[in-house]
Amino acid sequence: MIDLAQCVSRDGSQVYRRVFRDQAVYELEREYIFGRNWLYLCHESQLANPGDYVRAYMCDTPIIVSRGDDGNIHAMVNSCSHRGLPVCRSDSGNAKRFVCPYHNWSYRSDGSLAAIPQDRKLGSESCKSALGLKKVPRVASYEGLIFGCFDERVESLDDYLGDMKFYLDSLFRRFDAGIEVVGQPLKWSLSANWKLPVENQLGDVAHGPFLHNSLLGGTDSVKEIDDYGLNCVPRPGHGAAVRLMPEDSDDSARAWGLEGIAALSGNAEYREYLLERQAMAEECIGKVGARIKGLTYGVYPNLSLLWSNSTLRVSHPRGPGEIDYWSWWLLPKDAPEGIRKLLRSNFTLMFGPGGLLEQEDGEAWSQQYNGVNISYMDDSPLHYGLGQGSEGPHPELPGQIGSCYSEHYARAFYQRWRQDIENGLRRAGA
Amino acid sequence: MNAEFHFKLQQFYYREARMLDERRYQDWTALLSEQVQYLMPSRYVAQRDSALRGQQAFLDEQCELQSENSDCLPLRDENWLILKLRADRACHQHSWADNPPARTRRHISNIEWLESCDGQHQILSNFLLYFSRYERDNTLYSGQRRDILQESGDGFVIVRREVRLDWNCITGPTVGLFF
Repeated sequence: MIDLAQCVSRDGSQVYRRVFRDQAVYELEREYIFGRNWLYLCHESQLANPGDYVRAYMCDTPIIVSRGDDGNIHAMVNSCSHRGLPVCRSDSGNAKRFVCPYHNWSYRSDGSLAAIPQDRKLGSESCKSALGLKKVPRVASYEGLIFGCFDERVESLDDYLGDMKFYLDSLFRRFDAGIEVVGQPLKWSLSANWKLPVENQLGDVAHGPFLHNSLLGGTDSVKEIDDYGLNCVPRPGHGAAVRLMPEDSDDSARAWGLEGIAALSGNAEYREYLLERQAMAEECIGKVGARIKGLTYGVYPNLSLLWSNSTLRVSHPRGPGEIDYWSWWLLPKDAPEGIRKLLRSNFTLMFGPGGLLEQEDGEAWSQQYNGVNISYMDDSPLHYGLGQGSEGPHPELPGQIGSCYSEHYARAFYQRWRQDIENGLRRAGA
Repeated sequence: MNAEFHFKLQQFYYREARMLDERRYQDWTALLSEQVQYLMPSRYVAQRDSALRGQQAFLDEQCELQSENSDCLPLRDENWLILKLRADRACHQHSWADNPPARTRRHISNIEWLESCDGQHQILSNFLLYFSRYERDNTLYSGQRRDILQESGDGFVIVRREVRLDWNCITGPTVGLFF
């Protein structure tokens, strides 16, 4: 039996190394973290038409997400009811039926079983309504972001996100045309625990000028983060690292996308488009929302967002020491053809498996996995105590707000993590 | 394409590979045209088009690539400045993905001439890149390069290089290398 006091201290400031490597801890996470919380699946723009589908994962469970003929979004496990093979073998597409190659059982895009060819041979009639693909019981979306949950009793997605919606809105409602996901996600594997990338993007602003020193050291962007950076915890487990730009700052200091490699290109159309969008931001998301210039976001448990690099990412665990990391490209729907590639370079130059920053992050996360595998250190928890007690309410922003160098975002995450497992074990009567 | 041209091409690729294995990234940037495009499509498992069944087009590889078009997400689409930035960073003390540096060995094969026009040559080659770092972080990268080379002095400069890795999910530590 796992002693949770030997995993995470009550205040979240001490996290023991086994939390990142122990198979038994991972089994609890699969059951009580991934089995009970809303997990990100895909974006509505990827499922524009009836029959459109994408493959996804919820933890390590393979999922098909599709738009049915009824126009609704369905999520079901990608495994045939007959012999268990995957019935969807492409990453995305449009299909009337998902057909198992083994005996040709075929399923509709809502997961219901359409035909069993063997029934005809046998002159029998199996009970098809009981043999559909296993459904994910709860599916809901917020601002185009589609989530699923294995637990029928989970609270509504709206309540689950809580004040995180304020921070999501500041990006997803910033553009009156809305946001879309373009192309296929990039996917890569990491020898690391799934929580490391998650906590990095929940609010680990502090590593930036050091791990990424050769790119970021001494730059104006670090100065801007020093001056205006905040770590916001709207609800334990969620997080938003932002710069709240001063009231007297102008649009060029606040606009989404006007930083990074693409802005350096000096392209006039690029600059003009983003300034026009920023000029409309106040109308879409209010005065405070329009002053937010995000850094990184996290939605519990494993969805992350990089603001300036316009990418959503999910850390899919493959056991305690492996991750399949998926990363999608986001774009305002009305971005002109002429600047889409420029906007894309903000993502692919810095992040994804070829990204300059990402390769340093990936290096750090896999090195950390070496560090948590030293059993002699099992009595020596990792220190998450920086800035303890310094966070509090803020006159303009919802949640617990602190310096962007404070680690309250991580303490709240690990407290929530411990609470989830405690609740799960209690419900299971252990 | 004659034997002499093939020999020249082969020697160019071998020298380039050794230069990169010897970590002489600055020297390597001198092999690039300032207009260079360095493209690395990503791959995905595309649904086959059943209307094309029975035809060669059914197996078409192009539909599995996320390449340079603006409705796609490639792994990399870079110009000279970005390649120069990567080359410069490798010598930086705090470039932690390169310090300590990896040991690499590039094996270039299947060099094939496609066509030539106005002193530019379309050339294909395959590569295996063995990557070894720290004690036992070992990876093998496999893929194809589709180059446009421009004749320059005694040799060539690279005008365009498309690197097609064979992976869907990238299982190596980085694709930010020079392939």
